[in-house]
Amino acid sequence: MHFLAISNDTLFIYYLLSNLIYLALLIVAIFKNTVHRHRLGSLRLELIKASPFTPPITLIVPAHNEERSIVGSVGALLGLEYPSLEVIVVNDGSSDGTMEKLRLAYQLQTARILYIPDIATAPLHAIYRSAVEPRLFVLDKEAAGCKADAINAGINAATSPYVCVVDADSILEKESLIRIMAGVFSDPDRVVAVGGIVRVLNGSRVVNNQIEEVRLPKKAIEVMQVIEYLRAFLVGREGWAGFNMLPIISGAFGVFQRDLVKQVGGFRTHAVGEDLDLVIRMHRRLHEEHRPYHINFIPDPTCWTEVPTDLKSLARQRARWHKGLIDTLWPNRDMLFRKRYGRVGWAVLPYMWIFEFFAPIIELVGYSTIIIAMMTGNLSRSFFLQFLLFGYAFATLISIGSVLLEEMTFRRYSDWREVARLLIYCLFEHFPYRQLTMVWRLQGIWQYLRGDLQWREMKRVGISANPVG
Amino acid sequence: MGFIFSGIEKLGPAGLVLQAILGSLLGICLLIGFIVLRRWYRARYFRRRNERTVALRARWDDIVSGKVSAEEWRFDPLDCDIVESILLDAVEMATPEQLPRLLDCLRNSGLLDMRICEARTFSGWKRRTALLALGRTRAMESIPALADALDSPSRETRIASVRGLGRIARMEAAIPILDRVVSGNFDVPERTLKNTLVNCCRNYPSILVNYVEQTQGPLRELLARVLGELASPDLGEELLILAADALPEVRASAARALGNTNTLFTLPALHTLATDPEWFVRLRAVVALGQIENIGKIRILLRTLCDSNRHVRQRAAWALARMEPQLEQILEDVVATQDEYALQSFISELERSGAIEKLVGASEIGSANDSAQAALMEVVTAVKKRVQDSEKAAVAAAGR
Repeated sequence: MHFLAISNDTLFIYYLLSNLIYLALLIVAIFKNTVHRHRLGSLRLELIKASPFTPPITLIVPAHNEERSIVGSVGALLGLEYPSLEVIVVNDGSSDGTMEKLRLAYQLQTARILYIPDIATAPLHAIYRSAVEPRLFVLDKEAAGCKADAINAGINAATSPYVCVVDADSILEKESLIRIMAGVFSDPDRVVAVGGIVRVLNGSRVVNNQIEEVRLPKKAIEVMQVIEYLRAFLVGREGWAGFNMLPIISGAFGVFQRDLVKQVGGFRTHAVGEDLDLVIRMHRRLHEEHRPYHINFIPDPTCWTEVPTDLKSLARQRARWHKGLIDTLWPNRDMLFRKRYGRVGWAVLPYMWIFEFFAPIIELVGYSTIIIAMMTGNLSRSFFLQFLLFGYAFATLISIGSVLLEEMTFRRYSDWREVARLLIYCLFEHFPYRQLTMVWRLQGIWQYLRGDLQWREMKRVGISANPVG
Repeated sequence: MGFIFSGIEKLGPAGLVLQAILGSLLGICLLIGFIVLRRWYRARYFRRRNERTVALRARWDDIVSGKVSAEEWRFDPLDCDIVESILLDAVEMATPEQLPRLLDCLRNSGLLDMRICEARTFSGWKRRTALLALGRTRAMESIPALADALDSPSRETRIASVRGLGRIARMEAAIPILDRVVSGNFDVPERTLKNTLVNCCRNYPSILVNYVEQTQGPLRELLARVLGELASPDLGEELLILAADALPEVRASAARALGNTNTLFTLPALHTLATDPEWFVRLRAVVALGQIENIGKIRILLRTLCDSNRHVRQRAAWALARMEPQLEQILEDVVATQDEYALQSFISELERSGAIEKLVGASEIGSANDSAQAALMEVVTAVKKRVQDSEKAAVAAAGR
């Protein structure tokens, strides 16, 4: 009986702390966002475009069996507004017509350029350069079964001081590169990596690989993910970056100092969450070298990505994310509470262990003890009700806070009805979606413990299938 | 209400949780209310602004010429904001003939004085906004107010001031910045500084030479880099001094600047820089050689094609592959170097520039020597195979 009481109290404190931390992040994010918007007001993007001092950047696009979308995606990337751009597509042993489509569309020719594999990768078959678009290179390599290996090959071939990793099936907004690099220009000596925001593409109108009209998706499961993405990026990442503790830059859109990525050995091959893993290793390296640095997040450069539309795909994705989390936290456990790793070792990593990794386990234990306590008649009904209400109200407050941030800053959902829908879904997000997420994350832990690190395909509707006209 | 609070207090610890619940619910209501109110207010504001913009646009010529008294719009904050933003946009796009009329309107209406006053008396974001607006006016009398802000203890304000001066785009705006750069205690991001100096010194790059001479270390490199971007033929001999500088960054900038000149001493100076111990100085020299029109550069480029650095080799190959009338002779000379890396770089560039086909034609006539022909035949075979492959692929695609 005593155990049940302690368990219930622990659960209450855990929820309270978790939500209080997010509330603190929300407040920091609101402040940081306001400052950023003021700065943007004084920044003229066209001057950056015209400046001879704007550093070149290499876009790395890993592609595996992307024949349906690769030509359009590459075309859109080449159309991005940036003065000095190089695009490297890495064909990671595609078994479909990805390479052939690229060869025909861009008249690829074998390029005799020196390729120095600073980071070891699977062997390259050939390097091609487009005869019609000199900024485009294509690396044709053997499949290594992981995205990280393809990205590493791209990093080896990149000639720019900054590299930007982009998913082949995502859409970058025209000015996104200039905007994300503005985060570097603010302090080029210290800023070693910058992340941009990833938003949900489902439901929006896409024409020629560019967003024409932003709309909320129709299905509830997709709208829930919109809220999750808003909260994770506009509150979580913005807040952590405010303390220079950003633990992750999304693999779908992020800029890194090329040399630093090489120094840390590139993306870890076969890492499940290669983006999280890289950023944590960057923190480690820079702390060990006592280098002043900043890993930044900029909320306005936007990458649009398709999210799962069915429960099965979403379950796989969430299980994989959780596997990626363990796969990064465990090898870096020596950073915990070590003085040399500063606030990363003392704050963000403990947070990730307690409030990210252990979250589904603690939730499961919590629900179980509540049920046992109810069955044995040891649960105070009023406590249970209060706990439920408080947890629900506080978490909803945070979700609505992220919608407010979106409203105060970028207002991508301009229609009244869309915002109303977002707000309504905020009220329903915590039941049963949250409980389902808990189950999927538990599956991730189980799969990791079994050694099942296999990548499972996500069912995609495809950009072209989104509502048009 | 009192009985509610006393009731909650009686609950003890449970009351605390209840208060937290009520607090959270209140927070939710407030947030939703704020979102709704903000949306409503913004919709109303933009509708009103739109209406006023149309009304002011209808009388625009009279406003600019002063036929409509400034008093009619200056003291209404919304009207004043609209007129100022239209005016500043117009100033940015104005030709030298149109500019005086717009500046007169800014002066006569008191808008310029208002912004100067704000830049001197306000602080924080208000001051920065005023500084940027002053820069956009491109008016000479803005410079002192902007220059004052360069000494602000706030880094953000200094950056806004530098950006403002950059938008004025006059040599006079660069002088206060350069004076502070020379003093060595001026902390603004390097890129912002360089962009501003490029904007301001575009027509008078010679002003930078004196300042380069007065500075040392990284500041000297910074100014030399800007000079390298702007140098014009009339700088001439002053660039030779920089080409012999002890700092490699300065020599690299001199090399870049020499690419914009084509005088008697350009080629010898670039020749020296192309043999510099630092690879990036050699690279800059090769890039500059690629820009100048002088047949004498071939000899230097052939030497740099055998450089130990691949970037230097590639740029030399790039420059050589674009000298079409001499390509045959160049190919023979490249083969004669017996440097495999040089030959590979050159042939690769020939392929990329499309000049390979012409050379293939020439080799069939038999004008090239044996080794050149052997190298070419290898390339021809590769090209033929590639063409056949793409034809096959095209046929297959058409069949599908």
